[in-house]
Amino acid sequence: MDPLQRIACEWCQSQNPPNVTSCQTCGAPLDIRNLVSDSGWREAPRLKDMTEIHFNNSTCQVEGEIVPVAEMNLAQGDAVFFEHHVLLWKDDSVPMTVMPLQGGVKRALAGMPFIVSIAHGPGRVAFSRDATGELVVMPLHPGMELDVREHSFLLASHQIAYSYVRIQGLRNILLGGQGMFMDRFVTAAAPGLLLLHGYGNVFERFLRPGESILIEPGAFLYKDAAVQMNVETQKLTTGLFGGTGMNLARMIGPGRVGIQSMYHHHNTD
Amino acid sequence: MAGYVTQPPGPPAAGAGRSYTCPWCGTVSDGSSLSCPACGSPVDVRVMVNNSGWAEMPGIKDMARIQFGQSTCQIEGTLVPIADMNLAPSDAVYFTHHVLLWKDPQPVITTMTLKGGWKRLFAGLPLIMTQAQGPGHIAFSKDHAGEMIALPIQPGQAVDLREHVFMVATANVTYDWFQTGIWFRTKSGDDTETHYPMGMFMDRFFAPQTPGLLLLHAKGNVFIRTLAPNQTVLIKPTALLFKDPTVQMQLHVEHPGGTWRSWRSWGERYLWVRMYGPGRVAVESAFEAFEDPGYNFYDAAPHTRQRW
Repeated sequence: MDPLQRIACEWCQSQNPPNVTSCQTCGAPLDIRNLVSDSGWREAPRLKDMTEIHFNNSTCQVEGEIVPVAEMNLAQGDAVFFEHHVLLWKDDSVPMTVMPLQGGVKRALAGMPFIVSIAHGPGRVAFSRDATGELVVMPLHPGMELDVREHSFLLASHQIAYSYVRIQGLRNILLGGQGMFMDRFVTAAAPGLLLLHGYGNVFERFLRPGESILIEPGAFLYKDAAVQMNVETQKLTTGLFGGTGMNLARMIGPGRVGIQSMYHHHNTD
Repeated sequence: MAGYVTQPPGPPAAGAGRSYTCPWCGTVSDGSSLSCPACGSPVDVRVMVNNSGWAEMPGIKDMARIQFGQSTCQIEGTLVPIADMNLAPSDAVYFTHHVLLWKDPQPVITTMTLKGGWKRLFAGLPLIMTQAQGPGHIAFSKDHAGEMIALPIQPGQAVDLREHVFMVATANVTYDWFQTGIWFRTKSGDDTETHYPMGMFMDRFFAPQTPGLLLLHAKGNVFIRTLAPNQTVLIKPTALLFKDPTVQMQLHVEHPGGTWRSWRSWGERYLWVRMYGPGRVAVESAFEAFEDPGYNFYDAAPHTRQRW
């Protein structure tokens, strides 16, 4: 690629040839301006229907705009892993295996998927989650660590290491509204592709070191591993009924924070 | 045109600069921005009115800004839109606390006192109304795919909302509620049960002196219609989004022809609310159906009945 003629994707910073209209790595439209709100939230790019994304020798086509489908055309040697209930359809010939996971009992007790499945190329396999929302393509460059709310990831390519981290602090677990664990995705030397499903619209903001913001815990979607999360409770009193507590998660930079606009509301005691 | 186009946009007045009247909320602006500064509707959009007179609410464009007081509100997203407020120090908004999405550390959150707490508790209405005082950013959203509706309220004007559709209002708008008067009672054995097809209460918002802003969240798409005096329309009770206080309501029951009458309905009974003009009526397209228990009325609010 001629280094003087290339388009940098504003969403994932990947370099693209000048003749394409959407990023080959994450599918973000290159001919549409980045949408940033006055308060600094950047809207995840609306992927055009039938956008194609490339990773390794495989492609992924994003189909539909209300409840989008990710249709993978896996090449020989490529594989993706996923929670098994997000499968939509697949070719007969696509082999399936199961990823060995540590701490199965802990995961089962925490309500996390007990089995993470792997689909191997060659062949086609398609995924979707059953809610109105957006597919968020997160190309992970080497050396990145991303924490994702449980049950929010759709699939990840085989170069990405998958683990889970226990949310620190009993208060964060009980009041955070997102369970006991978060999924953690780590890349080593090779880049990988991670697809998330956000309920409603998805927005991202970069926090500077020490900068903080309060978010509804149910709206949390992802964060860089460097971002700290602490749940704080604000007491709301009425005098008559004693009041209730409003729990908000304080996110402290540096790093990215992603939120979704349609969230699962948790109970406030 | 029978839709809510009370003041169609006319040509610019000669010598008076460019003038644009929003066909949705009637606010006059210079028309230089892409969306109405009061309600966020796209400027110069062709007003969509169907043959029966319902006008489709123009979807607010992504990142459109709405001005209120010294503050602004930006609408972000199109599937489940967010209302992102940049509150000035002198401005405040109130909201039901579960719609809060995120906030800067600065805005101070307090609770508003509400009268009739016990009644609200029994009716399943929110008990706590939360208020945020500027300066700073604070954002709200609801967890359904749909549209964000900005309803500017002029001084002396009021609007009635079906319960649970309210999201945020500016602090200069007063909040009250009243009984819908849409109910019926059924009896099964010794058990008597009262049913409220559109809820026991409706919310009423009123701007006494200064213009206010109300934000609602509708499920699906929104359609609005202005009824002439004594003009009527039947709507499904749970589809109502808002109405002008001048619009009256009454329960209506309809039985299709070819069915026989017994001690209960077997699904061949339609429950409606008849809206009487004059005034605006707005409905949402994705609504949760009211579950009709089917038993004959033992007692009911004044209603009409039609057997075909």
